[in-house]
Amino acid sequence: MDVLLQQVVNGLMLGGVYVMVAVAFTLVIGMLNFLNFTIPALFMVAAVMMWAAMAGGFGADIDAVLDDVLGAPNKWIAGVIIALVVVSLASLVIERFTYRYMKAKYGDATEHALPLVSSLGFLIAFEHLVIGRWGSDPLTIDSPFGNASFHLGAVQFSIPQVISLALSLAIVFGLSLMLRKTRLGRAVRSIAERPDTATLMGVDVGRIVPVVYVIAGLLCAIAGILFTINYTTVDAYIGDKVATVAIAGMVLGGLGNVWGAIVGGLFVGLLEVLSIHFFGASIVKVPIWGMLLLILVMRPTGLFGHTAIGKGKF
Amino acid sequence: MLLEVAGLDVRYGRTRAVRGMDLTLDSGEIVTVLGANGAGKTSLLKALQGIVRLAAGRIRFDGADVTGWSAPRRVRGGLTLVPEGRQIFVSLTVHENLQMGAYSRSDPVDAEIEEIYDRFPNLAARRDMSASVLSGGEQQMLAISRALLSKPKLLMLDEPSLGLSPLLVIELFDLIKALNRDGLSILLVEQNTHMALQAAHRGYVLELGAAVISGTPEDLVNEEQKLEAAYLGGG
Repeated sequence: MDVLLQQVVNGLMLGGVYVMVAVAFTLVIGMLNFLNFTIPALFMVAAVMMWAAMAGGFGADIDAVLDDVLGAPNKWIAGVIIALVVVSLASLVIERFTYRYMKAKYGDATEHALPLVSSLGFLIAFEHLVIGRWGSDPLTIDSPFGNASFHLGAVQFSIPQVISLALSLAIVFGLSLMLRKTRLGRAVRSIAERPDTATLMGVDVGRIVPVVYVIAGLLCAIAGILFTINYTTVDAYIGDKVATVAIAGMVLGGLGNVWGAIVGGLFVGLLEVLSIHFFGASIVKVPIWGMLLLILVMRPTGLFGHTAIGKGKF
Repeated sequence: MLLEVAGLDVRYGRTRAVRGMDLTLDSGEIVTVLGANGAGKTSLLKALQGIVRLAAGRIRFDGADVTGWSAPRRVRGGLTLVPEGRQIFVSLTVHENLQMGAYSRSDPVDAEIEEIYDRFPNLAARRDMSASVLSGGEQQMLAISRALLSKPKLLMLDEPSLGLSPLLVIELFDLIKALNRDGLSILLVEQNTHMALQAAHRGYVLELGAAVISGTPEDLVNEEQKLEAAYLGGG
């Protein structure tokens, strides 16, 4: 029983990572009806930047500078900053190539599959940039926080993991509040429903879209940072592995629904860990994708969604 | 002159939706643009708002050449369109729809929103509900109120009476005339020729993207044959 309880806790902790990636997906889908495949890439880039800062991946010179300025145990701080900056800049570049230029050339580009295809291109390009620089083998670090943990009964709680889960939920709640209560949030929701009418209200859609790309990118970046700290092993394909599960979580919750993404993300984390516990790691994808297929057949709107595919559902 | 349009052309591919249109509107006027479906009325309004590109022509508004301005900039400059079909945001509440109307402003608008609630008690009663619960007439009132919150100098209305019951149409035109008496200039595109000519100071009749008649309502009525021809699309 204690073992099972421990697995439930581990599953929820892992789910915290999925929640943020699922919300990043759902934000872009909700607003632009666009399944953005650069999200796995941004998650991976942040995770690898985190690894590189801590494990000397940027080369001996930069590593020596980081040692001098921050000291060896604090190099993770540099990782956080580098990951956030790199992902923000990458998000702006991606926005130009998956949305802005397409819209300028083809009108409402979201009506086409073009953004989807160009985002897949970005995913592959980013993965190969990382492979070209650091190879495709697993990249590992020593956890910067050791095995800091506490016990409740027989169940062990890793302190970094608890902080990570709390942080991801706090960020997502904050984002939901922003969407509900602020001027920017109303603008995002109005673009989601009727971009042309939003323009008539004086909303400069071309200025809001990059902001949303950066917000989605930062969610992935924070998830990637937390992943590296807590699970200490990353590689160039970590984005695929994590983000595909996050997509399953998002669909479970309902596309474009932030609350659904929270529940769905936590659920797939739980499902993954429990599947490994009961059936072994080799077939863990089967229960997750089996659940996804069942959901799509029986309730294509997900648990909390309004429509299967479409815009305007925050 | 509040609005001065010269030689305006709108093209969609090879189709010329508006051709060489000249139009003027004085401060305080209601000007109506009439014509059959496909005559280019909506394209004209969209071009004035800046949501379709001009193939040719100049637009002067409130003393400035706004031809190169983006739609959001024109909203900030006092030019606001109530689109055909109302286009309210059903995923937002009634109140949030009104807040969106004031998006282009940075000064406080709460008092103005309360005035709107006083004017339209039905909107006040549903302020925190999804705007999808409103009837067609209420939606039109919300769409106009939303546009008024941008503090326009010129309000452009695209087929506001479409789909409303005769009683609501009368109410709508009473509102339009009342807004005009309070000093608001209005450019009105309508299918309901009778009501539009009753409210307007001047009018234009479009046919195949160009004005074939213009003048006072009396002038337009006197050229009834031409008017009918324009509506039948015969020419």
